[in-house]
Amino acid sequence: MLIKILGSGCAKCNRLEQLTREVLTEQGLNATFEHVTAMDEIMAYPIMTTPALVVDEVVKVSGRIPSKDEIAVWLKA
Amino acid sequence: MNIIIEALQGGLGGLASYLAAHVLLCLVPAFFIAGALSALVPQQSIIRFLGPDASKWVSYPAAAGAGSLLAVCSCTIQPLFAGIYKKGAGLGPAITFLFFAPAANILALSYTGVALGADFAIARIVLALSFGIGIGMIMAIIFRRGEEARLAQSEAFSAGEGISRKALVFLLALVALLIAGTLKLDFLKAVLFSIELPIHGAAGLQSLLDILVPVDEAVGAEGLSVQGLFLIALLALIGAAAWRGLGQVDNGFNRLTPVALGLTALTLVVAALGVRVSETGLLLTVSVRTAAVAALCAVLVPLARRFDPWDVQQWLWETWRFVKQIFPLLVVGVFLVGVIRIFIRPEWIQAVAGSNTVLANLAGVVFGVFMYFPTLVEVPIAKMFLSLGMHPGPLIAYLMADPELSLQSILITSAIIGKLKAWTYVGFVALFSTLAGLTYGAWVDGTSLWLLAMLVGGFVALLLGALHLVDRSSRARTV
Repeated sequence: MLIKILGSGCAKCNRLEQLTREVLTEQGLNATFEHVTAMDEIMAYPIMTTPALVVDEVVKVSGRIPSKDEIAVWLKA
Repeated sequence: MNIIIEALQGGLGGLASYLAAHVLLCLVPAFFIAGALSALVPQQSIIRFLGPDASKWVSYPAAAGAGSLLAVCSCTIQPLFAGIYKKGAGLGPAITFLFFAPAANILALSYTGVALGADFAIARIVLALSFGIGIGMIMAIIFRRGEEARLAQSEAFSAGEGISRKALVFLLALVALLIAGTLKLDFLKAVLFSIELPIHGAAGLQSLLDILVPVDEAVGAEGLSVQGLFLIALLALIGAAAWRGLGQVDNGFNRLTPVALGLTALTLVVAALGVRVSETGLLLTVSVRTAAVAALCAVLVPLARRFDPWDVQQWLWETWRFVKQIFPLLVVGVFLVGVIRIFIRPEWIQAVAGSNTVLANLAGVVFGVFMYFPTLVEVPIAKMFLSLGMHPGPLIAYLMADPELSLQSILITSAIIGKLKAWTYVGFVALFSTLAGLTYGAWVDGTSLWLLAMLVGGFVALLLGALHLVDRSSRARTV
């Protein structure tokens, strides 16, 4: 599983990465992490706002911080 | 030696009266509103109007709306600007968004209104809106031909969810709190009742404060009241409680969360209370404003309970993040302004920008471009200039240019839209900020509003017409 966090390194983006990592540990899942900060690469995804969570190249959420329960559902699917 | 003490006293005095007078009733609710906009308003609810197929009549106002509602955080400005430009409505609305965002977000607007007066806040929003849309349209015409090659990603503009009704009601209640606390209306000042507390030290304390933080009307030093001292103490307590109570609220509510919120409500009510030192104690006056602030604080509790706990936690976390990000810079900025204030002679300011001339307005713009101040610090600086005798016209020119143009924002823009477009934008902002200053200055000096509207409208129409003709003739030649 490839997880990408899109965001320029702002507080919200770091918070999203931290939450996602916590969910991974709690669920006992393995994944490769990538924090994308380059604006060109971020804009290649169909999003307008950061932070965004991309799981296996599919945008799951953008512009807000999801709850851990939501993240767990996306990661397990 | 004396001058150093005087400078430090100036800085501390400015800070004390700032913390006690200006911040509370405007910035505290404004921070909570900014947090709510960031956490509770789905960004898609506005972004969907900015797609590549949106008509001009929809996309320009929507870009301005996105600027004032979504862009309270630098996290959002950059991707939104790039997104609108590269995949959405294009260069024009993107420029409108970029221009409008720093002048018209809730924090800048409410702080301007309280520190400088409502007329400055209204001038700032009206001028930023009309000139923001104007510059956007001009840029779109100039660079029309480079516009076709863009990514087509309509899914980024899918409808998504709108603003829920409970979020809207909640936001309205917060805005009502902001208005009840700050607006200078007569019926809000009506006295309901007053009580006298027999505190004997009060008069002595006030005379001590008057020595430490002297009141000097001539230079705009406001001094510090007993009420102000009490409010600063409350602010310190909120800070201590909120560090864990709001800063870690995303891990679930903790015991300090209600403490921090309760103290905040108490601070607002105390700030709205009339307090006067009499010979025998403290005279407390409860006005309609006090009652309204207290009632609105109470109403917010059941309104907040209608949300999921996660949403409320996000709201409080965002609010605290804004406070942590902006407040320390503001405190340092206000202190430094108070220090610098001592060294600037009013005659200098009056000589350069004491009247509403083209040169004076240009001076305001140039100062705004070359000085970079962090978010909101432009307001205390403007207040200093105003008290030193700067004419309101050049002041508006400075207020328009400073947040829009800084080296940092120019670099970001040129990375996204290219150097040529970025510098054209800079040129137009400088031109229009000067124009905005001249217009506002002329209005303050008594020129009629209709004449000014006609002149500015005529100028913009002339500019648009000329650009249109240039565009047509250059197109005719290439064909």
